[in-house]
Amino acid sequence: MKIIAFYQTKFGELWEKSLTSLIKEAIFGVLKEANLEIDQVDAIFFSNMMAGVLENNLHTSSKISEIIGKNIPIFRVEAACASGGIAFHLATKYLSDNSKKTVLIVGAEKMTDYSPEETTLALAAAASGEEQEAGLTFPGLYALMANFYLQKYHYSEENLAYVSFKNHFHGSLNPKAHFQNKLTIEKILKSPYVAYPLKVLDSSPISDGAAALILTNDAYLIKKSKYSVSVLASEVATDTINLFQRQTFDEILATKIASELAFKKAKIERKHIKVAEVHDCFSIAEILAMEDLGFWKKGEGGKNIKELSTQIGGSDLTVNPSGGLKASGHPVGATGVKQIGEIFLQLTKQAGQRQVKNAKYGLAHNVGGSGGTVVVTILGS
Amino acid sequence: MVSPVKIWRRQKEKREILGKEGKVISWTKIYIAPNDFKNMVPYPVVLVELEDKKKFVGQLVDYEEKNLKFGQKVKAVLRKTRNVGQEDVIPYGIKFKPI
Repeated sequence: MKIIAFYQTKFGELWEKSLTSLIKEAIFGVLKEANLEIDQVDAIFFSNMMAGVLENNLHTSSKISEIIGKNIPIFRVEAACASGGIAFHLATKYLSDNSKKTVLIVGAEKMTDYSPEETTLALAAAASGEEQEAGLTFPGLYALMANFYLQKYHYSEENLAYVSFKNHFHGSLNPKAHFQNKLTIEKILKSPYVAYPLKVLDSSPISDGAAALILTNDAYLIKKSKYSVSVLASEVATDTINLFQRQTFDEILATKIASELAFKKAKIERKHIKVAEVHDCFSIAEILAMEDLGFWKKGEGGKNIKELSTQIGGSDLTVNPSGGLKASGHPVGATGVKQIGEIFLQLTKQAGQRQVKNAKYGLAHNVGGSGGTVVVTILGS
Repeated sequence: MVSPVKIWRRQKEKREILGKEGKVISWTKIYIAPNDFKNMVPYPVVLVELEDKKKFVGQLVDYEEKNLKFGQKVKAVLRKTRNVGQEDVIPYGIKFKPI
């Protein structure tokens, strides 16, 4: 089973684009990349979180059928910010059950037509009733984890700031990124609070965008393709919707479970991974992810991030070369697809200025909500 | 608007927590909030470990800045949770106050 093509629209505030036009651009964009016709696609997996809540827009499967003019099976997948990773996971299962087939995975989200309050409310739909009643937002939930972590391991907001510093540097090398500006630590620390101790510049933005992949187990197509990357593992784990029901707050347990399963399945070790896209919806999330994926020891993330060893050209594996959610943008349904796509570009040496050298294996880590769903995908060239 | 039937269904869960004491194990202060909470910003939300070791979240009320600390002792109280329309049922829920 191989990924043979990836396409993403520009991420950002795309005033002139609707959800439908984003989906259309991504579908026909990835077909062109793969040099395929729509007739060669056997099924589509579509990921989106908020169209139902924000714009009274559901039954997108049928809307996509109209866009492409075909009657093939189309499935819509929702798992909050992990929708894209889950859509990809289900696509791999579809291919496991069907030989000589080709599927298209497309993730899209339209978010910038609405006020921050409306979007915050729609995102909060993925939190528990108790959390919503406490007035907790997603930044608020991650802020509770961040404050817990900073207190337990004696770090400050400055340690968190290095995540955004690095990811904006990477974003400056990615022409499709929402933000392509570099930041200083001082500027990050001076940005206003969203939910203490997290600030605007600790947080991923509200973005529009779409991303698409072609996945196939058709040997003929794979042979004919200019680029191909193997899917070594795609593993899913879940956890309680309530943050307060978890054992501890300095880890995301579902990340630990999914990554253990994924490394076992892929039969490789952590040291073989040279590039990763991890779910940095907030600065603290990247630090927890690096620890829970097993790349760093618990509690050392705050120190390690300051060394910038995971920046392109650093001594460690490169993390979030796309700019991550922070700089590349976070159109919720598209994010998980884009993460896998970025690893595909890196492993096929198509990443341009942000190319990581000598990477044979890469990992994508996609989180829904405050850790209620996690998908870990491992790819190999 | 929160539907009255949802408010009614949640009452029985709240009764179990009401009046319990506990300590703050993490906290935040929300600056960007959904519409129903907008006029309360900035407001603190605390993650509390209750006396029976169960955990819960809620806003901290009747507080001073010095109460925003780890280990702060708190008690669960019943308060209005969100702003609703004039004709709607007023939702009450769990908040915490320092003791």
